[in-house]
Amino acid sequence: MVHNVKLGQNMRSVSIVGVGATPFFNGITNKQYHGLTNGELFGYAALDAMKDAHVEPRDVQYFFHGSANPHVLNGCITPNLQVADWFGMRGKGSLSHSEGCCTGYIALEEAVMAVASGAYDIVLTGCGDQGTGMPDGNTPDHMRTALTTEVLFPDLDSIFDRAYGRYLGGGPGMNHDDWINFYARENGLTAEQVDDVLNHQAYHFRRAAELCPRAIRRTPFDQMAKDAGYDDVWEFMKSPHNPKMTQYLRTSSDSCVADGAACCIVVPTEIAHKYTDKPIEVLATGASVLDAIVPHLEKKATAEAARQVFEATGLTADDMDLLFVNDFIGSSAFLAAEEIGYLPKGEGWKSVLEGRIAFDGDKPMNTNGGRTSYGHAFGASGMADIFEAVTQMRGEAGERQIKKMPKHTFLRGFGGAQNVRATILRANF
Amino acid sequence: MDQNRISTEEFWNPEHVVEKFWNGLKDGVIYAKKCKECGAIEFPPHHACNECGYHDTEWTTLKGTGMLKSFVFTGLLNARLELEDMGLKYVCGEVQFDEGPEMNAVILGINKKKGREIMDKLPVKVRPVFFDMGRYTTLFFELDEDEK
Repeated sequence: MVHNVKLGQNMRSVSIVGVGATPFFNGITNKQYHGLTNGELFGYAALDAMKDAHVEPRDVQYFFHGSANPHVLNGCITPNLQVADWFGMRGKGSLSHSEGCCTGYIALEEAVMAVASGAYDIVLTGCGDQGTGMPDGNTPDHMRTALTTEVLFPDLDSIFDRAYGRYLGGGPGMNHDDWINFYARENGLTAEQVDDVLNHQAYHFRRAAELCPRAIRRTPFDQMAKDAGYDDVWEFMKSPHNPKMTQYLRTSSDSCVADGAACCIVVPTEIAHKYTDKPIEVLATGASVLDAIVPHLEKKATAEAARQVFEATGLTADDMDLLFVNDFIGSSAFLAAEEIGYLPKGEGWKSVLEGRIAFDGDKPMNTNGGRTSYGHAFGASGMADIFEAVTQMRGEAGERQIKKMPKHTFLRGFGGAQNVRATILRANF
Repeated sequence: MDQNRISTEEFWNPEHVVEKFWNGLKDGVIYAKKCKECGAIEFPPHHACNECGYHDTEWTTLKGTGMLKSFVFTGLLNARLELEDMGLKYVCGEVQFDEGPEMNAVILGINKKKGREIMDKLPVKVRPVFFDMGRYTTLFFELDEDEK
């Protein structure tokens, strides 16, 4: 792996001026939401983002549609053209992209480049996935049925290299626990200590989700423990009510599959104040991609993407006030926080146990609850993080607003076995 | 058509790299590539070198022996279903070949008890297992406990 990428300066600065998002929900079991379609969901999120930016569909010049797996989840391979009519963009240019669970972060990167290049002035970028279901045969889109493990599990392998890695087998098996296993050995943590750390992390992320109306899992673990007859929530977290799904990860540290969509509008920073009083500038995005056959790929790719974005911006982890980490593998959250320097090297686990990573702590992370509580609508999750980051940076997060108004936010995207992105946002007001 | 005109197949006659690799495993041979500039071993084989970014590589073979540096047990979320169906005991781990390259691999024959035994002895020696999957042969590993 060669580490010689040096990000250049964009042709012009780009800012986010509008955001929109549906809640994350289970479209199969939730009767109110059952029957909603990909176009409707993306359309609602897109129109919300336009409203937030005080623009009409006619004003938007181009859009990006991201989805982790449009073929299996929605029976289509060109979702951009299938959603365009829902928000008044028929006939305009658009592009579909799909980078697994990193899709939402790459959606922002792509839109920024489209504006930074000078090609467009007003671009919408968004992502939508309906992870809980799949088409019910060859029927109209509102007719959906539960996504079965018989379909999902074999299909998940399609993120792994088909030439070699998938059939040499080790990469897929290492995907969830490689980094936490490596970290535990490196720092002398016992399995019990790792369990405590991950349970505390899930607990604090759930506290944020409880206050987030768009989150799918909002019942606090204290309540769940009480309902199950436990006086001690930590005893509950280690009980069969929260079983281990891998060597280290319990259900509480596994993502909760959901349906949902999120969008944002980007424009040149020089005209951003025309659309909002609180533009959020996208300073830079670092990128690294490694296949799952590479040992410790998440650690390596996170370090490389972070190096690029810090070098490009001249900022350090000490400048970051808020951090989002795609944590569909729960342990990723604090491990990535440590890797980029947001938490102290080798001691991030202590910060978790002390609750410092909670929305009301001094090192806030994943203030929407992260994948384990906010939910995971695959490609849409990264854009939902951007929605939450912008909400926090504007000071509009209500009860879960972090203590210090964030000037800089770092987002670490991850997915598709595995694409990594590292983006820094700056409150430009 | 002009009989002297070169055919497409004469114009472009590429190596079948992936096919050669998997056919090699059937014969118990582990093919890799070697960078013509920096000498790094590219495994599994690709056209170019991912160590230094040079464009040209040449064929070489690996012995298949190496060291298991770390491993994890799989669970419900990350089990290798095709191995579970065969009733195999295995872990997934980081293997470094004696020639240098590293990979995430499957190591057969390690149950929970054996895993606990070797956990504190890592890295430990492994050797190749050419495993018949039916329509293809793949490369797994097993502990090389004869070697000290």
